[in-house]
Amino acid sequence: MESVYKLPYTVLLCPNIKLKKPSWVRQPSAMVMFAAVLTSYFLVTGGVIYDVIVEPPSIGSTTDEKGNSKPVAFMPYRVNGQYIMEGLASSFLFTLGGLGFVILDQTNKPSTPRLNRILLLSVGFISILISFFMCRVFMRMKLP
Amino acid sequence: MADTSRTDIRSALSNPGGWKSLIIFFVLTLAWLVGFSSRLFAVIRFESIIHEFDPWFNYRSTHHMVENGFYNFLNWFDDRAWYPLGRIVGGTVYPGLMVTSGAIHWVLHALNIPIHIRDICVFLAPIFSGLTALSTYFLTKELWSSGAGLFAACFIAIVPGYISRSVAGSYDNEGIAIFALMFTYYLWIKSVKTGTIFWSSLTALSYFYMVSAWGGYVFIINLIPLHVFVLLLMGRYSHRIYVAYTSFYILGLVLSMQIPFVGFQPIRTSEHMASAGVFALLQAYAILQYVQSKLTKSEFRHFFFFAVMAVAGLVFLAVVALTWAGYVAPWSGRFYALYDTGYAKIHIPIIASVSEHQPTTWVSFFFDLHILVCVFPAGVWFVIKDINDERVFIVLYAITAVYFAGVMVRLMLTLTPCVCVLAAIAFSKTLEIYLKDDGHKHSPQESEDKEKNDKYYDKVSIISLSKSMNGRGGARSKSKKSKSSPGPMQVSPLLVDSGDGDRLKEVGKTKKTKEDKQKEPEGVGINIKSIVIVALLMMLMLFAVHCTWVTSNAYSSPSIVLASYGHDGSRNILDDYREAYYWLRQNTHEKARIMSWWDYGYQIAGMANRTTLVDNNTWNNSHIAMVGKAMSSNESAAYDIMRQLDVDYVLIIFGGVIGYSGDDINKFLWMVRIAEGEHPKDIRESDYFTPQGEFRVDAAGSPTLLNCLMYKLSYYRFGELHLDLRSPPGFDRTRNAEIGNKNIKLNHLEEAFTTEHWLVRIYKVKDLENREPTGEAKKRGPPKLSRKGNKKRKGSIKHKPKIIKGKKPSSSKLKKSTKPNK
Repeated sequence: MESVYKLPYTVLLCPNIKLKKPSWVRQPSAMVMFAAVLTSYFLVTGGVIYDVIVEPPSIGSTTDEKGNSKPVAFMPYRVNGQYIMEGLASSFLFTLGGLGFVILDQTNKPSTPRLNRILLLSVGFISILISFFMCRVFMRMKLP
Repeated sequence: MADTSRTDIRSALSNPGGWKSLIIFFVLTLAWLVGFSSRLFAVIRFESIIHEFDPWFNYRSTHHMVENGFYNFLNWFDDRAWYPLGRIVGGTVYPGLMVTSGAIHWVLHALNIPIHIRDICVFLAPIFSGLTALSTYFLTKELWSSGAGLFAACFIAIVPGYISRSVAGSYDNEGIAIFALMFTYYLWIKSVKTGTIFWSSLTALSYFYMVSAWGGYVFIINLIPLHVFVLLLMGRYSHRIYVAYTSFYILGLVLSMQIPFVGFQPIRTSEHMASAGVFALLQAYAILQYVQSKLTKSEFRHFFFFAVMAVAGLVFLAVVALTWAGYVAPWSGRFYALYDTGYAKIHIPIIASVSEHQPTTWVSFFFDLHILVCVFPAGVWFVIKDINDERVFIVLYAITAVYFAGVMVRLMLTLTPCVCVLAAIAFSKTLEIYLKDDGHKHSPQESEDKEKNDKYYDKVSIISLSKSMNGRGGARSKSKKSKSSPGPMQVSPLLVDSGDGDRLKEVGKTKKTKEDKQKEPEGVGINIKSIVIVALLMMLMLFAVHCTWVTSNAYSSPSIVLASYGHDGSRNILDDYREAYYWLRQNTHEKARIMSWWDYGYQIAGMANRTTLVDNNTWNNSHIAMVGKAMSSNESAAYDIMRQLDVDYVLIIFGGVIGYSGDDINKFLWMVRIAEGEHPKDIRESDYFTPQGEFRVDAAGSPTLLNCLMYKLSYYRFGELHLDLRSPPGFDRTRNAEIGNKNIKLNHLEEAFTTEHWLVRIYKVKDLENREPTGEAKKRGPPKLSRKGNKKRKGSIKHKPKIIKGKKPSSSKLKKSTKPNK
């Protein structure tokens, strides 16, 4: 084995260089990975791909009976259409709900003091509830 | 009192394993039942009927297979489709679906249960949804715990994202393919865990079934190599992975090439090259591992790093070179569109034209997954927090599936199982924390049971605590320790699983420490905990309500039979499609060729049993473009094309009378675009817009549009129709516009049939006209006609006296009737 491995070096001279793995190439930690996943999840569920392909305006507008144009945040009555901002708003809510569950899990660490625990719990819980019910409200607007 | 109850409970609960499997069995059966019955809305509301478009082809070929046998089906050349080209059905179809239902049919008939093949086809998808729930349960059990598995099974049974493709009657590949997908993944996880050839051969077999069922098998053959590759990158290589992947890849490759439609694709197309590359890489890695055992550590470190890089680079270069040299086909359009999202829009209008290939908006995510979409990131978090070999897989699955679901609405289907699994993990974990001091199972279906059990547990734990005070409990806990299995009253059997070791440890502890542990979380307050639990259960309930609502309202329409609801809630069935197809079946020549847009090709072939020019198997773009060109040219140009294609009848869908939005005028721009792709000189999309760039059918619309064949056929005689008192005649309800061209004359076609609500209109293409009449004939013509018209006019009264203004009519009888007129 050794002889095979040495074979090319009988002809070639080893150059005296030091190749080092650059310091920033390392296995990312679990939380970095999670952050990356969460970010991409935030973007995709917000319909960013739809925004790129269809190129809708960020906020729509309608004209009321007096002829004034007023902004509309949600493209109403269309399930397969959206404005950019509404997509981002609702995907923010999705992410908020997910983080709420994560916070709920965090409350269970034995080291947290009682007050923090209650605070964390209420924050996580409220964010779950808010995201869930806001999403329902948003969906109501979109459905015919 | 306390004593008797205690002994009862103790005897009943003495075998936690038995309880556990009973509950699992019970919940899975319920999930199957619920999943099956919630998919039956369409059957109950309408009838046992095949839905939509593609299922009609599947049904037709299943019927053909059952009638003529499997080998005749594989050799079937269908001359009824793609006239005049025909279609080799056996070689261009994934036969798994037909074979599955054919096999069920065969078994039932062998047992003397006479059932029509149509009923099997209608109910196949709901039945397979139960199997999907089972395999999801097993997958989640391998990944996390069986408690989470039960959650996942219940979620997948009712989640709308999956129901959308598996309601009764939607007899399509996806219905069985999702089961095959989940089962393959389960077996793969199992083979990674065990590293035996047995499990990986089973994975390959299941993969074979998936390949035979759906083109989505490409997802598997890319995801599993990706999993192996990432495991290598993370330095998690082991012999188990080597055995699992090598045997899976070889067997799977050989098996997948047995499907006629797939053929040599697995070694010739770019979609499959990743798996081959990872296979080569794995071999190299294994050799390096061997070399490592022969070399010293410092030597090896350098050698290893560069060797891996070199091999990876070599594999990549080999694939690129082969592609360039033409041995490997580059990405096909459909797959390429997944990576370069703008590609389809520009280059392949036919892919972009299908509504289920549109990119996904946020509503679809929430509509199809509801609460699961919020819980999903938490599931990812739990999984990433304590990662191992198989959990890497579900994370990769999640990332890829989320991306694909964002690109195409239809791929929401592959995302759904993964979301169910991860959300189930999150729910299970959260409830585990918040139910800890109660300690019992947490499946959503059994909230009632749960309450009952809670009481028991509480009672027992109080009793046992008091016992432990007396000193007798110490002995009992010791005996429990020796058994090293969870006591019934401490922690529910479901909670204690191989999933996390620390729980097992906790169970093994003595009563005293357990008591302390219980006290500590009570710092948060048991009330708060129960509030959290109740709220979570409420959300799950709302989820179930939403699922049922979506299923009943959005996904249970057969789209062949339409229903409209009046103001008083009464229901009107619009059965125009079947009316028209039945008319075709009864009143046209058996070999008649019918031109329609490709959406309706399968339905015409299935229900009317007539020859079509194009259908939903959109394999020949130029043929479709030809039909599109005929539809978008003016009548005489279209007539030439129709003569070339031997068309006898033209069938169009028109929704202007009832306000049906999925009609041909709304699809018309796609016809123009597809035609423009092939015939850019004759058809230009801009001609069909007004100068302001609008597409309108009223008088302001572009003249090209107002005179094209599709417009004329849609609105022929529509200008005479007065639908509503408030609107002018010829008012199109779908587009809310009064049509621009009201007196339409057809020269080369004639109306043959129009259904009750004008939904389907069929025109006969006239034969070539006689030679133009000469001048003399023209002169002689009119008097003849007028004489005929005078005498034999329909509905006229014989011997009707002529009434001349200002003169008395001759008979008295007439006096009466005319009097009011005076």
